[in-house]
Amino acid sequence: MRPEKKTLTDRRQRRGDELSEAAAIERAKQGDAEAFQVLYDMHKRRVYSLCLRMTANTAEAEDLAQEAFLQLYRKIATFRGESAFSTWLHRLSVNVVLMHLRKKGLPVVSLEETTQGGDDDSPKKDFGTEDVALAGSIDRLHLQKAVESLPPGYRSIFVLHDVEGYEHNEIAKIVGCSIGNSKSQLHKARMKLRDLLKLQRAEKAGKA
Amino acid sequence: MNCIELEESLVESEDGSSREQRAHLSACPACSGLVEELRSIIATAVELRGSAEPSPQVWNSIEMVLRQEGLIRPQPTPRPALSSFSARWGWARWLAPAAAAVLLSAGILLYRASVADKLAQQVSVAAPALDAGMDDNDFLQEIAAQSPQLRPVYEDNLRRANEYIRDAQSAVNEDPNDAEAARSLMDAYQQKAMLFNIAMDRSLP
Ligand SMILES: [Zn+2]
Repeated sequence: MRPEKKTLTDRRQRRGDELSEAAAIERAKQGDAEAFQVLYDMHKRRVYSLCLRMTANTAEAEDLAQEAFLQLYRKIATFRGESAFSTWLHRLSVNVVLMHLRKKGLPVVSLEETTQGGDDDSPKKDFGTEDVALAGSIDRLHLQKAVESLPPGYRSIFVLHDVEGYEHNEIAKIVGCSIGNSKSQLHKARMKLRDLLKLQRAEKAGKA
Repeated sequence: MNCIELEESLVESEDGSSREQRAHLSACPACSGLVEELRSIIATAVELRGSAEPSPQVWNSIEMVLRQEGLIRPQPTPRPALSSFSARWGWARWLAPAAAAVLLSAGILLYRASVADKLAQQVSVAAPALDAGMDDNDFLQEIAAQSPQLRPVYEDNLRRANEYIRDAQSAVNEDPNDAEAARSLMDAYQQKAMLFNIAMDRSLP
């Protein structure tokens, strides 16, 4: 996993820094309310964002983030620090989200032909048709909107790989697909995002 | 390598850095544009990590469940944050023991759940004690002053707790010997006490 950018926004997070993660974990094991909250504040954005990007639904994301933290807290007494706490939590969160998607009957991996070449629902194969240039000008909010419009089957692998930083071999294990499948799905997701971003751009230009 | 092959090759080698890819890209502006755009998408994707903030309701719900499940337990030594918060709450200081007493008696009551008349008797003792000083409006005003975004959450929870109390109370009034109703009433007060407890425990900024 790629290293995480640290954002220290609110006061509680600063308080969280004073109380180290390891100390908070030990205190949470003793049932300390503040320790639970410190751990929550340290990781809430990462967990919630994961849930939100994977579901594209605020209410579902809130429920799933809650569920992920509760599952974590119920098991915190068994945490011995063999792996990083954050790795443990993120992995658990991914499982909570995937379980939810499966329960809803949504594909975690696209149901479309996953071997190369069978992709005929992609609108453009001919590059160059009134190409709106995108490079260097993609901002976070536009990409976020585009990710929300991705079909669920493409969204999961894109979020896991490009947003969360999981490697293909990890994704293959988590999702239960082959590494090759993960790679081709990711490529298709990026190509679809590019189409969606161009569409956004074209719509915006049309309105202006 | 033609344009189709170039695109397919990006599945394995996304940055277009292999010798064959570079040979095609140097001669094909369309494909080098594509590679640039995909790079830009990949670079921006990382910014989505941890980019959204959950509403305060999420932590409130988590905390509520943690208390209900007994994962949050009373701590032997009060934390400084808690005592300074309690000091600011002044009027509410008595609430902690009151709430604790209610929780305790609820525990005792549940333990002796089979003895219906005792239940009813204890409920009638505990209930007015809790009712007497807990001014919901004061409480909510204090919440709003400390942390305005939390007010609707507490208001909502408080309303639900009060409804629960009313329902349970009328069931007890109907049949004072109904152990089930008495237990519900105790649960209802417990829920309300828990709300006050959460507010006291939480060191609002
Ligand atoms: Zn080309």
